[in-house]
Amino acid sequence: MSEHDKIRELLALAAADALTGGEEKQVAKHLRSCIACSNELEAWRPIASELRRLPTPQPSSWLVQATLARAEAKLTEQAEQDWNRRVMIFVLSFAWLLTIASWPAFHFVSGRFGSWLGPQFSHTWISFAAFTALGWLAGGVAAVMLAIRQRGERRLA
Amino acid sequence: MVGLTALSLEGLVAVDADVVRLRRGDVNALSELITRYQNRLYRYLLRMVRQPAEAEDLFQQTWLRVVEKIRSFDASRNFDAWLFALARNLAIDHLRRIRPESLGEPLANSGHGETVADRIPSKDHTPLDHALAAERRTEISEAMARLPMIYREVLTLRFEDEMKIEEIAQVTAVPVSTAKSRLRRSLEQLRDALEARCPGGTWQ
Repeated sequence: MSEHDKIRELLALAAADALTGGEEKQVAKHLRSCIACSNELEAWRPIASELRRLPTPQPSSWLVQATLARAEAKLTEQAEQDWNRRVMIFVLSFAWLLTIASWPAFHFVSGRFGSWLGPQFSHTWISFAAFTALGWLAGGVAAVMLAIRQRGERRLA
Repeated sequence: MVGLTALSLEGLVAVDADVVRLRRGDVNALSELITRYQNRLYRYLLRMVRQPAEAEDLFQQTWLRVVEKIRSFDASRNFDAWLFALARNLAIDHLRRIRPESLGEPLANSGHGETVADRIPSKDHTPLDHALAAERRTEISEAMARLPMIYREVLTLRFEDEMKIEEIAQVTAVPVSTAKSRLRRSLEQLRDALEARCPGGTWQ
């Protein structure tokens, strides 16, 4: 491709002010000696100029208000979800803390506090572990069911 | 020059502040951002889908998506490009569902014929000039509306939203070189369409 052809390809972009500094210099240098390319660039300018002056369609104020209302509702919903998540994390942490703390307490109450440093699989311990596991399992199932229900509600909304 | 820099910096800080406030869940910041971008965003969507009712629906969806995703947005990045990229993705999904044919790539680039004869005056002085200018805008608007979506998009981003090529590349998720060649092709197709409407093969 000749230099002339290369420059000619850049003229539309020149009218769109979309050339790099180097390309601009190249084009300017070529235009000084090429009348055909100068005319071609002049041909592009009115198109670029009219494109810049096209009227801007405006959204109706109803649309803007409705959008704002829906987006605000979404923002509020997200804030509520965040709050619920924080509460859930707190409750879970608290539940774990209670579970862990209740273990030595349980041994203390059952008169076996001295054995808590070297726990053995005694009948009492297994019963306690099973009870705790059942509690957590029930909590987990409830959390999953709640999440599924919430997702369904969100989809319907 | 200093004043301009200060002004543009001020503008940048204002936009960033609103985005940061929105990330914290500030409803007023959301209102500020919608007001700031309403015309540009609506125009962009309308140029993409061409139907006002569809553009209105996408306008709402875009802002809902903004609220949904704002926390994953890096406030040091260009909010304009991020916002328009969100809108673009929604518009493309919409077009893919409703009118997949409108997403088709254009035919091979055609060459140029004659050049446009005269340059139009930069300012309109008489009622006749106004009427001619209005006619030219209608022609260019109609010709633009008939271009393929990717070309309409790049034209509106460059000439109406005054985005730089780098920003256009960000919005359209393509390399800068692709954005540039897309812009060139869109202008060439637009010019061909305009000249085809004129009996003498020229447009002014």
